[in-house]
Amino acid sequence: MRALIWAELYKLYRQPRTYYALGAIVLMEVVILFSAYYQGSALIDVLMSTLKQSFYFKGDLLNGNLLVYVILNTIWFHLPLLLMIIVSGLLTSEYKDGTLRSIFVQPVSKSKFVLSKYFVAMLFTMVAIFFLMLTAFGLSYTIFGRGDLIVYLDTLNFFENNDAMWRLFWAYLSGTVTMMFYSVMSLTIAIFFRDTTITWILATFFLILSNLMLRVDFGTSLWGKLLYVKLGESWQHFFYYDINWQEIVLNNTILLGYTAIVMGFGILVFKHRDIA
Amino acid sequence: MIRHLTYLTYFFFCFVLQAQETDRDLLAIKSRLDSIDHYEASISLDILASFIKMPTKYASMTYEKDQPVSFTSDNFILIPKRGLDFTLTQLFQYPFITLDRGIEKRGDKPLKVLNIIPEDDQAEYTIAKILLDTTNRRIVESEINTRNEGSFKLQLYYNTRQSALPDRVEITFELQKLRLPFNFFGKDTQIDRQELRSLDEKKGTIILRLTDYIISRTGEKR
Repeated sequence: MRALIWAELYKLYRQPRTYYALGAIVLMEVVILFSAYYQGSALIDVLMSTLKQSFYFKGDLLNGNLLVYVILNTIWFHLPLLLMIIVSGLLTSEYKDGTLRSIFVQPVSKSKFVLSKYFVAMLFTMVAIFFLMLTAFGLSYTIFGRGDLIVYLDTLNFFENNDAMWRLFWAYLSGTVTMMFYSVMSLTIAIFFRDTTITWILATFFLILSNLMLRVDFGTSLWGKLLYVKLGESWQHFFYYDINWQEIVLNNTILLGYTAIVMGFGILVFKHRDIA
Repeated sequence: MIRHLTYLTYFFFCFVLQAQETDRDLLAIKSRLDSIDHYEASISLDILASFIKMPTKYASMTYEKDQPVSFTSDNFILIPKRGLDFTLTQLFQYPFITLDRGIEKRGDKPLKVLNIIPEDDQAEYTIAKILLDTTNRRIVESEINTRNEGSFKLQLYYNTRQSALPDRVEITFELQKLRLPFNFFGKDTQIDRQELRSLDEKKGTIILRLTDYIISRTGEKR
């Protein structure tokens, strides 16, 4: 199993698209920071216009923490897309190049083989999020400095610099669980459809569908609480003034459960399928 | 006969208005506050409002006579536009008349109620109601109606009998409309617009706590 994981990691390390994905993350961040640099002050003015009736402001709200939060908000659609492309490629490229046959000529367990793929997919997801977090904090703090974070979630919430940093850190950690779900899902789609293009189209469709469902208000129904898209929004809970840890832990545990089910289903299908 | 009575009434009211004098207790307080040339204090600021969540903010406050109050802080702070004029410079900036409205009680303490009406159109307020602690020569409450920025209420609390400047101030403010760019700074998917509409014209309270006063004055000491 360990050898299989190392082999998968080596493949990931060798393929150029891994680096394209990481490069794309940085490029997206730069675009967001660039637009914030030119529009941010105006947007903050609009946001604070109500408070201007009664208050003067001292200090700058257009700072690194706000930008990290904006990156987090903006990139949560694009990042799963990149991850799904890279992760599904772990298997579809094997189908395409016919390397699966040569692998299974040797005494390799199908379950262990695909499990190692899932393991590497999740590891890569964690590395990508860590890379995103590192670059987001690094670029934002370097360009915009530190300061209080303002977020609108039902109320106008102000967080002091240290508090904001911790909340953003936890949000990235919680977001990792969500991203792992999408990565595992894309690998399962790859197991089902094998073809690279079809897998990418279906993975993209799945992502778009998820985003559309996110906009549907299910109220307080059980559906609303258990739907994976709603559970994947747990990272936002860190920006309510009072953090509901119990709900965040529960949501992420359920989402990890879904991830395990999707993974188990993929392993089962792969195990019982012929290597064509 | 009726015409004579009308003239008589008119002249009577003119005489009464001419005879309006500025309240002596208010003048005593004004003179006490006017003696303050400079003060500095550390402040902590809390905002109690259903639509704003903010931790306690800390800053330093400096007052120089005839200058706007200035603040220094390492963090982002919201400074109330109204209610920081503890010496009531703005209230007494232009000539005014006072109307004695009797006594009101706050707790067990009887307080003198006055209306202040500016005689000059340049004054920023139209009418002010103030409650005076005549024993300790200070203002404990005021409600000021401004020309352009609505009204605001101030409650001033003092730790000692001798204090001329407050140790705690509560400012009631009102915000008219909450306008927000949904797509940029927050979660744009689950905004309850109905709830948002209900946020129109919400009241809030700012609590200022002032400590470590350094006061320079021409007359008495704090």
